[in-house]
Amino acid sequence: MLERVTLERRAGVGAALRASAYAGAIVVALILSLGVLLWAGVPTGALFQELVVQVFLAPAGLAQTVTMAIPMMLVGLSALLCLRMKFWNIGIEGQVLLGGIFATAVAIHDIGGPLRLWVMLLASGLGGALWIAAPLLLRVRLGVSEVIVTLLLSNIAFLLLQHLLFGAFRDPTFNFPSSSVFDSTERLAKLGFGSVHVGLFVALAAVAVIGFAIHRTPLGFAARFTGDNPVAARAQGFATVRVMALSILAGGAMAGLAGGLVVAGTEFRLTQQIGLHATFNGIVIAALARNEPLLVPLVSFLLAGLNVASASLKVFYSVSEGVVLVIQGIILLTLVSSQFFTTYRIALSRGGIAA
Amino acid sequence: MTGFLAAWLASFPGFMTPLLLASVGLILCERAGILNLGSEGLMAVGAMTGAVVALSGAGPWLALALGAFAGLAIAVPFILAVVVLRAPQIPAGLALVAIGLGASAAFGRAYAHKPFVGLRPLDLPEVLTGLPLIGRMLFAQDGMVYLSLIIALGAGTLLMRSNFGLRLRAVGEDPATADAAGVDVQVHQLIAVVAGCFLIALAGAYLSVGGSQIWTEGMVAGRGWIALALVVFARWSPARAVLGAILFGGAEAAIPRLQTLGLPVPVYFLSMTPYLLTIAVLVAFALLRRGGQGEPGFLGRAYIRQDR
Repeated sequence: MLERVTLERRAGVGAALRASAYAGAIVVALILSLGVLLWAGVPTGALFQELVVQVFLAPAGLAQTVTMAIPMMLVGLSALLCLRMKFWNIGIEGQVLLGGIFATAVAIHDIGGPLRLWVMLLASGLGGALWIAAPLLLRVRLGVSEVIVTLLLSNIAFLLLQHLLFGAFRDPTFNFPSSSVFDSTERLAKLGFGSVHVGLFVALAAVAVIGFAIHRTPLGFAARFTGDNPVAARAQGFATVRVMALSILAGGAMAGLAGGLVVAGTEFRLTQQIGLHATFNGIVIAALARNEPLLVPLVSFLLAGLNVASASLKVFYSVSEGVVLVIQGIILLTLVSSQFFTTYRIALSRGGIAA
Repeated sequence: MTGFLAAWLASFPGFMTPLLLASVGLILCERAGILNLGSEGLMAVGAMTGAVVALSGAGPWLALALGAFAGLAIAVPFILAVVVLRAPQIPAGLALVAIGLGASAAFGRAYAHKPFVGLRPLDLPEVLTGLPLIGRMLFAQDGMVYLSLIIALGAGTLLMRSNFGLRLRAVGEDPATADAAGVDVQVHQLIAVVAGCFLIALAGAYLSVGGSQIWTEGMVAGRGWIALALVVFARWSPARAVLGAILFGGAEAAIPRLQTLGLPVPVYFLSMTPYLLTIAVLVAFALLRRGGQGEPGFLGRAYIRQDR
């Protein structure tokens, strides 16, 4: 099909082309998203009010947006740490759940005394790293594709969560499956702005550390080299497997930490809801941030605003929360489709069949 | 105990059918080299549309067909992105999941929790359905159960025994060689993915029209992901997918029955078995150094002629 059109791989891509493909994708995604919102029944006049003023400018809404952005930053970091190594982590949600489970276990068993909160957060990172270690090991040792294993482990993690919430962790005083509520020493301090908690600084510190490590340290150089061209990096004497493993384990830890911050910072207990769409959110954030850690806070903030807006759209205009999911799907699909223009050049052949 | 066994045996084909249809659809896509992670979203659209059509008073077969076509319609941007634009297949598939789950939730809200009349078991003579133990399992099922088996075996024959199937597998295995031999890579991928998405959405439509006969949000409940696991478990063979679907569907059917018996079974651990079995199969094949057997060599990668 289309024999007259051939594709050529572009050798180098200029910054201008890269930027315009990205901008074009965003514009297309925005137009389609507006269409979806209007179709779903949001009045035109209310769009700006609901999607900008209420979630980014009004104090109450802004506080909600920032609170939601905290775990989103970490799942975005998780996705990009793996994506930079060309490791498709389709199980971020599972790692988030394990983080939540580990932090809750520490809280329930009163481990760590005065350092309880630190132990909880450390355990949550450990849980996430543990849950990604298995697919990492299978990939490195046996060459098993990580796509399906991370996906399966994510489902297993959700069943494990349910097993605990209906069993060992269950607090029978609640009608819905939930652990008991944490003590005050097991909760992250509030910053006095809505429900924003100190987890914000944890997430921003993670962004800074990972951004610095990737761009300013020898390890980060090795990681960038390994991610871009593992064969050349190995030939140059870099310990590619170790570098890759470190980056991916850090990715798992970031996802686990996100789960820990959700249970210790906003929910104060373990519920079935803590892992909501983390895999998808993480990959959308990484795609929008072009795998650049320093862009993650901004992108997470914007997407968190969209999610907060969906709650009020549901209440006031009975627009389903599904609409936000559709919008995020559209953004991701236009972004990955736009890579066509930066990856390939279209060559038209004059007559005849192009070889 | 025999009563329990007969009831379980009679119920499992209903659980097997959607898994079988979806995994055969996925096998078609993957054999042509296209990794389609979007099954969960396609099934959601199929289930919702099937229910909406059935609620409007149309017959169950029309509901199934329109459910499948609706899934195909929502997959069009995905198909164009991965086949024509060579977009990375994993994020494109995840986007399809989001669009499918979101669109079915948004559109189906007004139709949720409304029971309707869906597929009925075939009216076969009492002599057959009354057979002890296996009578109802074999003969008291709806038409789609039998049709799904025919589709699976037909797809298997087409894939493994026909020239078209050979070309399709060649495209997924080594598109450069197939291209050099004069096989149109993109046309074969398009046919495979269109047929595959249709079957996956049909599986979703069966969940509402054949199974629950009511639509609720989230009713696909991870079966799209299980179907992806089943494909690996079946080593990309539609015939083996029948066995896998019987096994996974049988496990799924057993869980609610064991619960109603009041046995202290760890239900959530039982639900993990399909996933654990699939990981075990992956590890076993890797350890036996037969990791490549069955898995299409070019799965998930983009091919352009210049790379040849």
